[in-house]
Amino acid sequence: MLLALAAIPVLIAVAVRLSSSVPPGRGPAFLDRISQNGLFVAVAAMLVSVPLFLPLTIGVVAGDTIAGEASLGTLRYLLVAPAGRVRLLLVKYAGALAFCLAAPVTVALAGAAIGASLFPVGPVTLLSGDVVQPPEAALRLVLIAAYLAVSLAGLSAIGLFLSTLTVVPVGAMAATVVLSVVSQVLDQLPQLEWLHPWLFTHYWFGFADVLRQPVLWDSFTSNALLQAGYIAVFGALAYGRFVTKDVLS
Amino acid sequence: MNRAWLRWVPAAAVPAVIAAGVLVGSIPARAGDPLPQKTPAEVLTLLGQHNTKSFSGTVQQSAELGLPELPAAGPSSGPVSAGGAASVLEFLTGEHTARIFMDGPTKMRVQVMDRLAERDVIRRDNDVWFYNSKDNSAAHLALPAFASDLPLPAPGVPALPGPPAPPGDLPGPDLPKPDLPLPILPGEFVPGPPVMPTPEDLARKFLAVVDSSTEVTVGPDVEVAGRSAYSLALAPRTQGTLLEKVAIAVDGETGMPLRVTVMARGQAEPAFEAGFTSLSLAAPDDSVFTFVAPPGATVKELPVPPVPYMPGRPALPPSPGGIPPGVVPDSGPDQPTAPDQPTAPDQPTAPDQVPPDAVPLDQPTAVPEQLPVPDKVPGSDDSVRHRDAPRPTVTGKGWETVIWFPAAPGGQGAAWTESLLNDPLLSQAAVVVPGGRLLSTALVNVLLTDDGRIFVGMVPAERLQAAAGAA
Repeated sequence: MLLALAAIPVLIAVAVRLSSSVPPGRGPAFLDRISQNGLFVAVAAMLVSVPLFLPLTIGVVAGDTIAGEASLGTLRYLLVAPAGRVRLLLVKYAGALAFCLAAPVTVALAGAAIGASLFPVGPVTLLSGDVVQPPEAALRLVLIAAYLAVSLAGLSAIGLFLSTLTVVPVGAMAATVVLSVVSQVLDQLPQLEWLHPWLFTHYWFGFADVLRQPVLWDSFTSNALLQAGYIAVFGALAYGRFVTKDVLS
Repeated sequence: MNRAWLRWVPAAAVPAVIAAGVLVGSIPARAGDPLPQKTPAEVLTLLGQHNTKSFSGTVQQSAELGLPELPAAGPSSGPVSAGGAASVLEFLTGEHTARIFMDGPTKMRVQVMDRLAERDVIRRDNDVWFYNSKDNSAAHLALPAFASDLPLPAPGVPALPGPPAPPGDLPGPDLPKPDLPLPILPGEFVPGPPVMPTPEDLARKFLAVVDSSTEVTVGPDVEVAGRSAYSLALAPRTQGTLLEKVAIAVDGETGMPLRVTVMARGQAEPAFEAGFTSLSLAAPDDSVFTFVAPPGATVKELPVPPVPYMPGRPALPPSPGGIPPGVVPDSGPDQPTAPDQPTAPDQPTAPDQVPPDAVPLDQPTAVPEQLPVPDKVPGSDDSVRHRDAPRPTVTGKGWETVIWFPAAPGGQGAAWTESLLNDPLLSQAAVVVPGGRLLSTALVNVLLTDDGRIFVGMVPAERLQAAAGAA
């Protein structure tokens, strides 16, 4: 799955390399900058993968946590060991979190690598028009990846909870992905404005604030707070469900 | 069974705790030292004396004018590509956030933060830069030497008072000039893209028109951006206007306007609001004001704005009662036409109407830059200033002022009608009413009659129609 994610920046870079120059202001943001600076491949790839590819990956991983074991019939063996259900749940969630971090980092690394190999790398122009040197630009890339990792943490908690509800992993995976899409759709409807700050996808695109000068941390903190809330709520739900569940498989 | 219920306790408790936390957080904090009681006049004095020139903060603006909402990633307005009406309209709808850095009168930076993009205006002394990250374009404007020490920010700012301007300018008997020309025709005379207005700009606009037709009161203290502030309310005494109230939060410590809220009649949500969400009075890092066009950016050198209005500027700050001298000659609407209007007597007397408590407003020099702005736009351009072109007429007074642009080829009215109807968004928003088309917002109504006249006013549509019928 990480390989599939890594393919996104490669695809973007090759496409931009082969095609004529992208007119500025068209297509996804940052796309037109790629031909001038390879580091933008990483940014553009992360941008493109935020709405679907990253949630898809996380949905698959998180939805598989408990339901996967259950469908394979290994869950009860895991629970026979004197580890306790809470601990199993925590370990499973930690695994999902690790994936949350690994996924955007993969995209960023692959993007930076392919960008550096196909395009010149130089000082990076931030959204504010200021120019930073490549080392700092790399730091910003890391920050974006961290931002996305935090953004996905809430979704993986939802996936974990859904995974405790069923023994069919595909169901949990699909439900998680669908929820992320639904949340993004709701976020687009102006009629539901009051709801927007509560949607776990609301700050997903806020990572652009890392590319401003000086860095704007507001969205980072509100995002972290929101995701922490989702982790708490769905973690507690998953705990309630998993601890009281009759494990039959 | 009992144990099973216990296991679900966290699941129930966590949302409850979060809900409680949110509720507590949303209750406006009234703690802290209450500000000493002040009369409206004292608050106005405080506001007038404020001299905060170094700060950095985030301003959030939201508008509920009833205009069709533009997509957040709307048409990009390149520095000079004058997305004209669209880009100014953009600030009339939805929500916008900007960071503002200021250090002294001649260094400032405004960053309008769009989704995945940013528009910047950076000024350091003589150099004014505009940057738009969407198309990676920059524009540079070199202010003439004599303007370098003026506290005027970028000439790009003129276009931005657009949103607040109609409310601000229309009502005053002193300045019955609508700002509609701004939104519609900015690109031609205003180099640079529109930028968001700061609360300061807005406050100044509204205070400029305070007169005896306005009731000025001080409400309970409010908290804005973590600072306690006086709430200064300006309410028209008449019922015949769409504007219900303008509330200005004045920082209790420095007198700086922190938030401006415009309430329209019959609308619970503010029609327009701009205020700081965070504010630091420390001088921002100097590097913030340094801008070099990034590599690969298209750079355009903007012509220096016409000189006539530049010298006028220094004279503006001291203008009494918020009547910038520049406005009077330039705005045309009021003076020249007054004589042949039944209501004309109102106009000349306007300056005298300034009530005692408005005197302290004496346009503090803090941010006088916005004042000259609106007048210069319609005035400084040559195209509109045809001497022989019919001039707009003003009827009504105070907040009920209706401005009437006669139909005539070459006149302002004709030009605006054209631009109005050519703009797909605006023409869509205009509904057909008996006698013409009506562009209706929560604060301002614009009536385009079938015979080409335009009536503008912060009054209900019926009044415009009545005016159209009578005229």
